[in-house]
Amino acid sequence: MLLVLSEEHREHLSMLPQVDPSVVGEFGRIALEFLRRGTSPKIYEGAARKLGVSVEAVQQGVEGLMFLLMESSKHTISEVDFVDSVLVLGFGEELNQVLLQLYRDNQAQIRRILSQLIPSQPSFHQLEWRLDVQVASRSLRQRLVPTVTMRLMLSESEEGKHSTWVLQTDPSTLLHLISTLEAALAAVKTSHSRRILRNIK
Amino acid sequence: MELSESVQRGLQSLGDQAVLDRSSFPVVVDACFRSLLSSRGDPAVLDLPELKHVDKILLKQIHAAATTFILEAVKHNADKSTISSSLEELTFNTERVEIFYSTFQVCRKEKACFIGRGPAHIKDVSWRLQYQMKNGQLDKVNEPFYLISLSTENGGASEDVDFSCTAEQLQDLVGKLKDAAKSVEKASQM
Repeated sequence: MLLVLSEEHREHLSMLPQVDPSVVGEFGRIALEFLRRGTSPKIYEGAARKLGVSVEAVQQGVEGLMFLLMESSKHTISEVDFVDSVLVLGFGEELNQVLLQLYRDNQAQIRRILSQLIPSQPSFHQLEWRLDVQVASRSLRQRLVPTVTMRLMLSESEEGKHSTWVLQTDPSTLLHLISTLEAALAAVKTSHSRRILRNIK
Repeated sequence: MELSESVQRGLQSLGDQAVLDRSSFPVVVDACFRSLLSSRGDPAVLDLPELKHVDKILLKQIHAAATTFILEAVKHNADKSTISSSLEELTFNTERVEIFYSTFQVCRKEKACFIGRGPAHIKDVSWRLQYQMKNGQLDKVNEPFYLISLSTENGGASEDVDFSCTAEQLQDLVGKLKDAAKSVEKASQM
C-alpha cells in the first residue's frame, strides 16, 4: 500500500534535500528520540545554527520525518511501497536510500513504542504458589484443610506498575482450573482458529 | 471441656426437671441448635407456645449456656463420652443426654464453620480467546490473546479478577498450576 502525503507534510519535508544525507540521518535519530522521550528546543536551535537555516524549518523537517516513519511503521508497508511513496517527493536517489535505511532499522522499535499507547487491560506477569494446611483456628480445633495460596502479579497499562492479588483455592478447584485452562489452550489449535489466523493477514 | 460458672448454671437449669418438663426439654434444645445454624439471629426463637410457662429470663440464660456449650463441643471436636460426662456432671439424666447428643450429631455436620478471615477464595475461571487485528495506533497486529476471569469469594462478597495474556503466558500459568497440583498429590501420599 502506498502512503499519501498531504501538501503540508510535503512542504515540511522539502527542506531535507537541501542538507547533507548524513544530516538527514542525524535528523532521523532526533526524530526517534522525540518518539521515545520528547524533544527540547535546544536541539533544534543547535542544529539550526550549524546548518544556517531557521529553527522552524529544522523542527518541521524533524517532525515531518518522524510522521513519515510512524505512518509507515503503523501500516507495515513493504520497502518497495515505501520507496514509491517517497519518490513522490522528488528526492535524490541517495536520500531515498537513507530514508529507506532509517525505516528498515527502526520499524520494529517504532511499533513497540506505539503499542504502549493502546488502552490495555492488566496482563499476566507472574504466579507464585504455596501449599498450606490449616490445622486449627480460633473457633475450631483439630482441623485438616489443605489450601493452595497463590500470588498473582499483573502488570498494569503503565510501564513497571504491578498489581498483586493474593488468592486461595482448594485442591479440587485447582484441578478444575487446570482442566478449564488446558481446554482454553487447545482452542487456539482447532481448525477453526487456524483457518482464521491463516486468512486474516 | 472447661465451662464457665454461668454456663454451668444455665446447663443445670436445662437439665433440671423442675424447670423444664419432659415435653419442653426437646423444644428448647431444638431452638438452641436452630439459632446456631441459621445465618441470621432470630429474636423470636424462644417465643414458642410450649415454653410460655417458663420464666423468660431463665429461658434466655439456658439458651446462652446451651449455645456456648455446643460451640465448645464443636470447637474441640468432642466425642460422645466427653459430652455425656460433662452433661451428667451437671445433673442431666440419661434420657436428656441422649436427646441432646442425637440432635448434636445431626447438626454437627451442618455446622461446617466457615468462620475466619483469609485471602479471597477462587471459585471458578472463565476464558475467552480473541484475535487482535487492528487498533488505533497500529495496523496489522494479527495476534491471538486470551481474556481470563477468575471469580473469587471472600466472606460472602464476590469479586472478579480479570486479565489478558498471550498463549505463552497462559502456558506458563497452566504449568505453574500443574506444579502446585503435583505437590498436593505428593503431600497426600506421604
